[in-house]
Amino acid sequence: MAGSELIISDWCPGCGDFGILRAEESVLKELGVPLQNVVVVTGIGCSGKTGQFMNSSISTVHTLHGRALPYATGIKVANPKLEVIVNVGDGDGLGIGAGHFVNAGRRNLDMAIMLHDNGVYGLTKGQAAPTLKLGEKVKSMPRSNINGEVNPIMLALASGYTFVARAYSYDVNGTKELIKAAIQHKGTALIDILQPCPTYNDINTKEWYEKRIYKMTDIDPIVNDQAETHQKIANAIVKAGEWDDKIPLGVFYRNETVSTYGDRLAANIPNYLSYPPAEQEIERDGIPSTLIEKLVSTRRVLIE
Amino acid sequence: MHMVRITWVIGGPQGTGVDTAANLFGDAIAKAGYYIYGNREYYSNIKGKHSYFTITISDAPTSSISDDIDVLATFEPETVFQHFRQVKGTLLYDKNMEGAKLENALLMENEIKHDVAQVLSSHGLDETVGGALNYLKNNGITVIPIDFDSTLTMIMNEVNQSSTVVGRAKNVIAVAASYGMLGLDKKFLLAAVSSVFKKEEYRKINSLAVEYGIIQVQPKYSLEALPTNGSRLRVDGNYMSAMGKIFGGLRLQTYYPITPASDESDFIEANQLLDVESEKQELRKAGAVVLQMEDEIAAVNTAIAACLTGVRASTATSGPGFSLMPEGIGWAGMNEVPLVVTYYMRGGPSTGLPTRSGQTDLKFALNVGHGEFPRIVLASGDHMEVFRDAFWALNLAEKYQTPVIHLIEKTLANSYSIIDEGPFNYNALRISRGKMVKASESYRRFEFSDDGISPRAALGSGPGRIIHEGDEHNEYGHITEEVNMRFKMYEKRMKKLETADREIPERDRLNVYGDMDSDTIVVTWGSSKLPIIDALDMLKTDGISIGVIQIKMFSPFPKNMVRKLLENKQTIITVESSYTAQAAQVMTENTGIAPTHYILKWNGRMITREEIYKSVRRIKSGATKRIALNGGV
Repeated sequence: MAGSELIISDWCPGCGDFGILRAEESVLKELGVPLQNVVVVTGIGCSGKTGQFMNSSISTVHTLHGRALPYATGIKVANPKLEVIVNVGDGDGLGIGAGHFVNAGRRNLDMAIMLHDNGVYGLTKGQAAPTLKLGEKVKSMPRSNINGEVNPIMLALASGYTFVARAYSYDVNGTKELIKAAIQHKGTALIDILQPCPTYNDINTKEWYEKRIYKMTDIDPIVNDQAETHQKIANAIVKAGEWDDKIPLGVFYRNETVSTYGDRLAANIPNYLSYPPAEQEIERDGIPSTLIEKLVSTRRVLIE
Repeated sequence: MHMVRITWVIGGPQGTGVDTAANLFGDAIAKAGYYIYGNREYYSNIKGKHSYFTITISDAPTSSISDDIDVLATFEPETVFQHFRQVKGTLLYDKNMEGAKLENALLMENEIKHDVAQVLSSHGLDETVGGALNYLKNNGITVIPIDFDSTLTMIMNEVNQSSTVVGRAKNVIAVAASYGMLGLDKKFLLAAVSSVFKKEEYRKINSLAVEYGIIQVQPKYSLEALPTNGSRLRVDGNYMSAMGKIFGGLRLQTYYPITPASDESDFIEANQLLDVESEKQELRKAGAVVLQMEDEIAAVNTAIAACLTGVRASTATSGPGFSLMPEGIGWAGMNEVPLVVTYYMRGGPSTGLPTRSGQTDLKFALNVGHGEFPRIVLASGDHMEVFRDAFWALNLAEKYQTPVIHLIEKTLANSYSIIDEGPFNYNALRISRGKMVKASESYRRFEFSDDGISPRAALGSGPGRIIHEGDEHNEYGHITEEVNMRFKMYEKRMKKLETADREIPERDRLNVYGDMDSDTIVVTWGSSKLPIIDALDMLKTDGISIGVIQIKMFSPFPKNMVRKLLENKQTIITVESSYTAQAAQVMTENTGIAPTHYILKWNGRMITREEIYKSVRRIKSGATKRIALNGGV
């Protein structure tokens, strides 16, 4: 294949990451976005290898633990013409990267975030991750979890995400549909993708999930008018509280009435979207193109 | 040779226009053809605590300050208490505050209060402004009362404004009275008022403050306007760094608010709509994006990521912020990203002295991050250098595809100098972007090459796959832990610093001043060079001639040239604003040459020219090996 080598993924057999990778790659192909304009940004952990394992010409940036969102932000702001997709784990996105997770919601950049949510830190041998419930003990933990859990859906809603959904990674078709909607959404989209970790999470297994998951049909998640925002968020939060017996999948909330970060930057820099920072010519034959005389003149105290 | 060198100080509570006063005064002096260097000192506080501005007035370019004050302009009691012991010439004060008590200077720090109280009581003087005035009179120092209240009343009678609005002009009355001592034509000060105050009503009030303030004192210095040759600018470090970056093509800057770095980002954002010359010399608009991030971790990583799209991007911070950045900078090293970090040094460790200066972060910058990767570390010594180095840093980062850290101290960031526009000559600078390509089908981001530098393609630039990877990787960017690839890829990255060391002339990595034939050489860096340069002629008068080496680039270090310049020198004095003389340590590590003497200062205040003059004399007399300075307020 072009410009790269075939890399075989090294995830454990049965890992939920396979489904996410497959769904994501096929959506990108189906959407017909030129693949050279797609950038997959990942954090650290098993999910961090998603970009490396894509067998296509999609570019990828494998970043630092918790920092995928600042990287995605830098890429998307510098070149809004790129399609940016973020893959992070629950430890990556909601533990070490929680601050960035919250602040990404405040910006509403046009990008999609896949949260690989398995409740454990796999690569370090199965410690509790931020979505593991208080008191639970998966098999490699020496004692049960004394930290409470964070609800990714509620946190995203509180932080200003404008598309919030949940998928289940073994349901590749369902996951694909949501990924497609997330990419097409104008604004920051989060999909909380539930995934069994067959190696370390012996509580939230395939069997456990499949007894509980269902596709939501009882809420209308779409905000058509800004006046509906608070009510729709409230409805989504109530729905996001469901867990023990029934776990809802699908879109909890979707709001395209909020300006994207790109729109906000364009309000200050009129040609920002058509002539973004990454495309600007800054020199010609080495001669700087920027004219700074006006800025110099403000400091001229003696004129001759 | 400096014929005129006058030290003027104005002080007051933060928020009462001390900076505006200093700007007005400095601009007026500059318009009269003189040079200034102005240093700003302030607390980490919004309103009320003592801030002051020291200005050196000179007939030749000047770059230092003195703690010996020729003219102290005050308009409230605390400034008198803080500075009266420094006055060697004249103190101007509000005649209605003679009875003001030391104990009522509520925001004054207890350590200073106790010290002042002790000095006054030991001389049998009241702990009041009057007591401080008597202290000065007893020492033959002139004190001049200024009638602020009736001056304000006179202004009130001419303008239709409230006493609160007019009352704000106290600072300008103090400026005018002290300006009057110089003997310069008032037209320069009135012109400065016109350019600083844009609103007509304020212009009127402050012009009257000049008219009524200036007549309250008799000229003491009889300065005359000097003939000038060419335009001059009043510049500060934050402005020069921002301008160097803008001219250098910076189009994305990230930051998290922090003193004394944020002013740079604020300036870029305020001026983000840029004029650029495009093909056929047509003008068009461009936009530089400034992103305020949630923390410095986000700031550095967002800037790094922006660089991957081909844009010139950077972040600006100071010590506490840089302390959050090492992991990101390591990623940039591993991924060969042309990141520029502008690092404003302030007093550490921890929150330290947030608004004071220091040179204590050199070794941190040189060693930032775990693992080994090349980084270029540059330190500017004056305002012109700040501009050129900010511009140069962007070139170096792209040429060698590795992080560049540009060190600037708080004292340079916040101080002003007057520079001649002729030598500024920014149009002579050239941008060089290094090896840039579009990603072809067979593109390999980390392709091996003789000089260690691979062709760099921006994300989205072509059909080729671009892989960035913080794990060890092969030429494509795929993760590998295989021994031979690790061996070669590691060496490729490190080789870039050797390439830089070979290509960047050592002469550009340092400056020399004074008499390099002397057997006494001062080695210094950053703003510590400024008082040394101004002390050269003072020492010469005493028959002491010294040479000065200012090291500008610490990685790669100009080791051959430093070694040569220091060959067979008897006395090597290092001058630094730190406890451990970090630059000297780095010099020794690179050259095997250690200093014989140390002049060090770590109290957060700029080194003064007298401190250098006295210290070098003491060292030359054989009195001591290490001098710790503690001047300033």
